[in-house]
Amino acid sequence: MNNRLKVLRAERSWSQGDLAEALEVSRQSVNAIETGRYDPSLPLAFKIAELFGLAIEDVFVSPSKEA
Amino acid sequence: MTAYPMNPARRRFTWRFVPLMIGYSVLMVFSTGTIASQHPAGSTLAMLALLPAIPLVATIAVLGLYLVEETDEFVRHRHVVAMIWAVGAVLAVATVWGFLRTAGAVDEPPVYLAYPFWCVCYALAQGGQIVADRLAVRP
Repeated sequence: MNNRLKVLRAERSWSQGDLAEALEVSRQSVNAIETGRYDPSLPLAFKIAELFGLAIEDVFVSPSKEA
Repeated sequence: MTAYPMNPARRRFTWRFVPLMIGYSVLMVFSTGTIASQHPAGSTLAMLALLPAIPLVATIAVLGLYLVEETDEFVRHRHVVAMIWAVGAVLAVATVWGFLRTAGAVDEPPVYLAYPFWCVCYALAQGGQIVADRLAVRP
């Protein structure tokens, strides 16, 4: 699932490690989600969105809306 | 388990797993040594033969406990996928071996090696995941 994680992280000057620490997951998890190799569960997706102060759909791109 | 940084679940896994493997090694030496020197029979023989299996079976429970306690869902997912690959490999080898055995082409399979074989396949599957990660094209 495509997402804006990398952009959102860059806007805040956060490293993958910073984000991983805030989410209490491994850096590999952040990398896998960011690169679209792993789709997070709904609770983790909510946690990510809330961390950025956004709605889930502002972070993750719905597969049905992908070009 | 070493591909990811330590967290409380992985730390607990290590603290549970290592003593069991040490126990297994000690009981293995004791069991085989006693059976070879004392030549026990009946229930004593069965008990001695089963002794090393107890910590080994306990490690399976420890692996299950780790999956329950792992809070990083991506890491847990990866372990489950690697475990399923390992189960598939064991079942495939057992099936092939079974047909060969039925035809009399090979001896009885050493079934006690099923779990160690699964562990090797589990480790290989995790290695495969790391290689796949490195080969993956980053967007």
